[in-house]
Amino acid sequence: MNLEWLDAFLISGLFSVVVIIGLALLLHLQLGLTRIANFGVVGFFGIGMYSFGVMFTKVDWPFGDLPAFLISLAFGTLVAGLSGLLVGWLIADLDEDGVLVGTLGFATVVFILATTEQDLTGGALGLGGLKFPYDVGTVKADEFLWLIIVSIVVSLIFLYVWWVHRTPYGRLLIATGGNEPLARSLGKATFRTKLWLFAVGSAGMGLIGALFGVMERFLAPENLGIDVTLAAMVALVIGGTARAWGAVIGGFLIFGFFDIIVQSYIPFPKEWYGQAIPNAKLIVEGLVLMGVLLFRPLGILGAMQRDKLMRRVHG
Amino acid sequence: MVSETQQATVTRPQIRVQNAVKSFSGRVVVDIDDLMLGDQPIEGLIGPNGAGKTTLMRMIMHSTPLDSGTITLFNANGGGDVVISNLPTHWMAPHGLVKSNQVIMDFDNLTILDSMLLAVSTARYEKPYRIFDEPRLYADSVERMNEYMEYFDLGDPMRIAGSAGEKKLLDIIRCLLLEPKFLMLDEPTAGLPEEVTEKVVGLIRKLADEGTSVVIVEHDLNVIWNLCDEVHFMAEGSVVLHGSPEEIRQNSTVVEKYLGEGHV
Repeated sequence: MNLEWLDAFLISGLFSVVVIIGLALLLHLQLGLTRIANFGVVGFFGIGMYSFGVMFTKVDWPFGDLPAFLISLAFGTLVAGLSGLLVGWLIADLDEDGVLVGTLGFATVVFILATTEQDLTGGALGLGGLKFPYDVGTVKADEFLWLIIVSIVVSLIFLYVWWVHRTPYGRLLIATGGNEPLARSLGKATFRTKLWLFAVGSAGMGLIGALFGVMERFLAPENLGIDVTLAAMVALVIGGTARAWGAVIGGFLIFGFFDIIVQSYIPFPKEWYGQAIPNAKLIVEGLVLMGVLLFRPLGILGAMQRDKLMRRVHG
Repeated sequence: MVSETQQATVTRPQIRVQNAVKSFSGRVVVDIDDLMLGDQPIEGLIGPNGAGKTTLMRMIMHSTPLDSGTITLFNANGGGDVVISNLPTHWMAPHGLVKSNQVIMDFDNLTILDSMLLAVSTARYEKPYRIFDEPRLYADSVERMNEYMEYFDLGDPMRIAGSAGEKKLLDIIRCLLLEPKFLMLDEPTAGLPEEVTEKVVGLIRKLADEGTSVVIVEHDLNVIWNLCDEVHFMAEGSVVLHGSPEEIRQNSTVVEKYLGEGHV
């Protein structure tokens, strides 16, 4: 495959945008519909990434790479889902402050475990030995193919999240987020609903973490900073928490714009790329976030607009 | 002949409240020894503000947990007896026990149609993987929903309920769509215009005729006197009197504590 036309920066830039959009979409179900402010996104992302990585590299698999890879991927997803079930059980009935502290605390625990459990994770030195489950020639071609695969996974997540607004389950999520006591009085098991949404959403975040780890090839605790959580949250808030497209638009606008267009295609002097541009990027992102919250508090796409949706579905 | 026998043995669902106590910050708000609700088709629960009427209803729904005591639902959903004071709130509606809200309650983002579909939809439809069930849910319930929309002249259902009155009405419609066997209404007509109140009263009567037990808390006493077959009078946390509307409105304690001399 001749990929000379393709910039390596473009692949990695697009890849991080796709990963952030994937996380933001799952966060849309939790925060946008059900109003569970999960500030531990990176915790589930990280526990999926490391569980996958440890399973894949430390176990002496008796069969080929692909089955070992898929089993490890399922394992990472499962571990993230189970930890989501545990954390969800602890926080599902707490108020917003409790949810914030609980989920942030979980992310911190994952970071500390990744640093201190040196035998498993390699500690601060990191964990190497990850690879793509295929080899199509060059590193660039491998990475490009991985970008496509992960884009397909995130597109499927998007399709589900977009469609869920049109299902009785989506309505249940919105009702639970909008007025939980009222939903309960109508016979809805809101605790269980929140718990399973949290667990399955966390499993999805773990899967995305594992897929991200493959592209990195080398897992280190610095991948588990709060910036991952904030990136997903900022993308969603800017695009609009209540809309499925909000995650996509916010992700492309904020991270796509800076990471790809500004960093790769605008010919700034070389010496700016060391400190000036990354810092300017943070400042501009912060300003955009403030501007959106001030002038369009529901995000660029605005309110949920169930009236229009219901007209389309049942009109 | 057969139908007559059946008629005689039809029992309405009843609720028995025994030794139920609830206090907030040390102050006893409800303290009931033994109370049977549902002997008559429509029963009223009246009493001065702070008597504990709303708290009692919330205790029955378990949206306010009891400090102590037992609440039992008899003939639950046509079946046996169930102690409901230990069951979660969301258990009640699927088993026929439904309560409307005193304060205005609505879902922020949901349209009137959404609200109604939420009420008619059961857990079976609401699984994350049942993603093609919406058309069936709608088709199965559109007639019932339209009946209420037309009866109350609500117009377009694909919009968010606007006024307080509309939200109050929607709350009652949600309750009715749940097809209650035992319905508790907490000030159902507060804030509704008179012609809507009459329509609501008409529906309550129809429901009671069809076998639902209704308990109603209401400060509009004309509704109570006209609608109820039996009235419970509550004061300071306990039910102090039961009787027919006539007995209650002429009772000296009720007159003294609640109605005032002028009302009789």
